[in-house]
Amino acid sequence: MAAAKPMPSALDFELEARCSTTKARAAILTLPHGPVQLPLFMPVATQASLKGLTPEQLEATGCRLCLNNTYHLGLKPGQEALEAVGGAHKLQGWKHNILTDSGGFQMVSLLKLANITEEGVRFLSPHDGTPMLLTPEHSIALQNTIGSDIIMQLDDVLVTTSPDTKRMREAMERSVRWLDRCISAHKNPTTQNLFCIIQGGLDLEMREECCREMVARDTPGIAIGGLSGGEAKADYCRVVNTCTGLLPELKPRYVMGIGYPEDLVVSVALGADMFDCVWPTRTARFGDAITKHGVLKLRNASYRNDFGPVEEGCGCLCCRQGKGSLGVTRAFVHHLAAKETVGAHLLTIHNVWYQLALMKSVRESIIEDRFPAFLKHFFSDLHGGDKAKYPDWAVEALRTVGVDLML
Amino acid sequence: MATALENLEEPRGLFFDIFGSFDPSSVTPRLGRLRVKGRQELETPNFFAISSRGVVPHLTPDVISASTTIGGVHMALEDFIERATIGTPPIMNCPGSSPLHTFTALPRSLITVLAPRRTPAVSAPKGNSNTAISVFTSTGFQVLSNKSYISYIAKLHPDIAIPLADVPHGSNPGTKRVPKMGDRTQEWVTELLNSKNDEQAVFAPILPIDSLSQYEYLNQLADELTDGISGLAFYDSNLLPDMPATTSLSRLPRLSLDEPSSPRQILRQVSLGMDIFTIPFIGFATEAGIALTFRFPRPVLDEPAVLDGVVGSVLPLGINMSSKSHTASLKPLSTACTCYTCTTHHRAFVQHLLSADEMLSWTLLQIHNSHVVSEFFTSIRECVRRGTFEADCDEFARAYESELPEKSGQGPRVRGYHFKSEGPGESKKNKAAWGNLGNFEHGISGLVPDEPAGTLEDKGFAKKADT
Repeated sequence: MAAAKPMPSALDFELEARCSTTKARAAILTLPHGPVQLPLFMPVATQASLKGLTPEQLEATGCRLCLNNTYHLGLKPGQEALEAVGGAHKLQGWKHNILTDSGGFQMVSLLKLANITEEGVRFLSPHDGTPMLLTPEHSIALQNTIGSDIIMQLDDVLVTTSPDTKRMREAMERSVRWLDRCISAHKNPTTQNLFCIIQGGLDLEMREECCREMVARDTPGIAIGGLSGGEAKADYCRVVNTCTGLLPELKPRYVMGIGYPEDLVVSVALGADMFDCVWPTRTARFGDAITKHGVLKLRNASYRNDFGPVEEGCGCLCCRQGKGSLGVTRAFVHHLAAKETVGAHLLTIHNVWYQLALMKSVRESIIEDRFPAFLKHFFSDLHGGDKAKYPDWAVEALRTVGVDLML
Repeated sequence: MATALENLEEPRGLFFDIFGSFDPSSVTPRLGRLRVKGRQELETPNFFAISSRGVVPHLTPDVISASTTIGGVHMALEDFIERATIGTPPIMNCPGSSPLHTFTALPRSLITVLAPRRTPAVSAPKGNSNTAISVFTSTGFQVLSNKSYISYIAKLHPDIAIPLADVPHGSNPGTKRVPKMGDRTQEWVTELLNSKNDEQAVFAPILPIDSLSQYEYLNQLADELTDGISGLAFYDSNLLPDMPATTSLSRLPRLSLDEPSSPRQILRQVSLGMDIFTIPFIGFATEAGIALTFRFPRPVLDEPAVLDGVVGSVLPLGINMSSKSHTASLKPLSTACTCYTCTTHHRAFVQHLLSADEMLSWTLLQIHNSHVVSEFFTSIRECVRRGTFEADCDEFARAYESELPEKSGQGPRVRGYHFKSEGPGESKKNKAAWGNLGNFEHGISGLVPDEPAGTLEDKGFAKKADT
C-alpha cells in the first residue's frame, strides 16, 4: 500500500554539517517565508499570538518559525474568518514562517473524552457542547486556509504509555491511512509542506514499520509523534534514536512537544532537527526563568532584593547590558510575577531567547565539530559540575551515540 | 513667542514655562512646557500614564519607547511596600540615582511622579490619623506615616513627589472631618518641605473640598510654603478658579488627579487652566476591549461613521473591539490613525485576541488608546495656540457622545489591590477559567457524540450548529 505519485515540496533542505561522533546535524531549511537554521526550537503561539508579545518582539528574539494550533484557530476565529482575512500570517502580522499542528493532539490533551473512529475524531465542542467530528480532510482544509508553511497530518494519537498493543497498532496503521487521506486532500503542496507523523508508541518494531510506510509516502518533512506524554526518558530516547536511523538524511526531522533544554540537546545528538513546546512560555507566566544553570523560580522570596539581570551574560532584551538594554532585574520580575502581565511578557522574551540561543550554540558546535564537548559543558553548567546529578537517561542515551558524559 | 517666566535660576531640577500672556487672576487654558533635568521635555496640556506596580499596564518598557509618546508616569508608593511591615521594601534597596526608574526598568526619558496612593485609589476601611494614612498594598491595608513617606521620597527621589494628603477616597467626609483634612494636610506638607533636600520637586496636594474649608492651607501655600513647592496636584479640578491669585502660585504647573471620566471633562479642566492629567479611562477602555476613536476638535472627514451617519448624528468616543462585526475586518482600529496597532494590525486580529483572551489584545489596545489621547492633547495645544479652543470644544461636544461606551470585555484577572471587597455575599470578580467537563447548559446525553459520521460531517468542523 505504499504511495504512488511523488509529492511536490515547498521547502529546500541543505545539510551543512554532521557531527563526526553523534548523529547530530546542522542544516538550513528554506521555507516559503524564508530560511531557518536547524537544529531549531519553535515557540508556540497557540492562538496566533505568542503570549503577549508583539510580532516584532518575537522577531527580536531571533524567531523565524513559530507554531499556531489548528484546533484553536479552527474554533477562534474560525475557518470563515481566516479565509476572509487571508490566512494566519495576515491575521497576526507575522512575516516569517508558521507551522500548524493537525488539531489531533489537542483532542487527546484537552478533551479526554474524544472518540476516535476511522472517519476521524469525534468530540463535543468545549465551548458549547456542539457535537463535532475532525477528519483528516477537515484538518488539512483548515491548515490550507491558515496558510502555514508547514502543516501536519492528522494522526491517531495515543499516550505512549498505553499498555494496549492492539490499540497501539491500530493507531499506527490508522495514522498511515490518514496520511494518505491528508495527502490527497492537500490543496497547496507547492506552497505548504505536509509533514507525516511517525506513531507506534514505545514499541520499536512498530515504530520501524511506521517509518517505512511513511517514508515511502515521501512527504517534505517527517515528524516523530506521540512522545512527551509521560513516558520514561530512556524509552523516549530509544524511540527517537530508532526512528532517526530509518529516516532519509535529506529531510527535516521534527520531534513534537519537546522543550526542556536537556531533552533538546540529547535529541539533537540522536539526530533530530526541530522541536516545539509550550513549556518555556508557560513557565514564564509562572515567574520561572530558564538559564544555563537551571530554572530560577523568581517568585521565590530570595530574589526580591536581587538586582542582577535574569541571567548573567544572556543577550536577550531584558538581560543584555549596555546600549538598548532594558535593565530588567530579578527583583523587578519578582515584583511583577503573577501580578502584572508585563512581568510575564518580559520573562517570555527571556525564555524564548534562551531556547533559541541554546539551539544556535548547539548548531555552531556541530558546524565546528565540537558538539560532544558542548554536551559536556552543557550538563556541567546545568548541574553545577556535579556528575552525580546528571540524569541517567541522558548519560545512557548519549553513550549510544558515542559521547560519555562521565569521562 | 515664548515669554518664559523668570524662574530659570531656581535651584531645583524642574522648570515650568508658561507661554503667551500670563495673568495670574484669569481662568483660561494655557500652554506650557515642563522641563525636568535628564528627562524629555513635556509640552502642556498633556498627560502622565498611570502605572500599576510600577508598569504601565500591558506595556513592556521597550514598547513604551518604540510605540508611545508617553512623557511621564504616575507611580503609587503603595504598589511597592507590601513588605514594609516585616522588613525593608525591596525598592528601598535598589541601587542607582533614580531607584524608581532602575527598579521598574522605566525608560530614563520619562518623568516619574510618586504619590502615596494609586489613582483611582481603593477606599480604606480605616480612616487616616493625625500622623498617617491608610494605604492598600498587594497584601492588604497598611498604615503609612508621614515620617516614613518622607524617608521613602528621600531615598527614591522621584522627579515629582506628591506629599501625603488627607483624602477620604471613595467616601464623603463628614462635617467634623473636613476641617481636619486641611489641618492634617497642611502639617504633612510643611513637614515634608522642611525636611526634603533642595533638589526634590514637590507638587502640593489640593484637597477635594471647597476652598473655604481649606482656606488656611491654601493661603499657607501661597505664602510661606510657596518657595518650597514646584507644582500643585488637584484632587478636584473645580478648585482651580478658587486658588489664591498670586503670581507665585499661578505660575506653578498643575497636575490633575481628578479622574476625568471622559474627554469632555478633560477639555473642561483644560479651559480652567489645568496642565497635566492622569487619565484612568485609558486603562479602563483598554481592559474593556474598547478602542478610543475620538479626535479633537472634529473627526476626520472620511470616518465611515461620519459618512454613513445621518447629518447631525453623534459619534461614539470609542468602538467595542469585541464585537463580532470586526471578525473579518482588515480596517485599522481608528481611521487614519498612525499608531503601531493601526498601521501594523487590523480589527480582525484585535477582535480575535479579545475573544481568545490573549494578553496581546490589551497591549495593542493600550498602545492605540495612549496614542489617541496623546494626539488629543497635541490638538488641544494647537487649538489653544490658534485661539480657537473654546469654539473647538463646542464643536467636539456636538460631534461626540459625552461618555465612553459601556464596558463589555472581561479584561485581565482583577487583583485584590484593584478593588475593595464589599463584604460577604459578593459575587466573584474573576470568571472561573474551567468548569466541569460535560456540564453544558443545554444538557446533553453523552460526553462523546454518537450521531452517524455523515450527520457530523454536514455540520463541518468548528462551526457552531444553529440551535
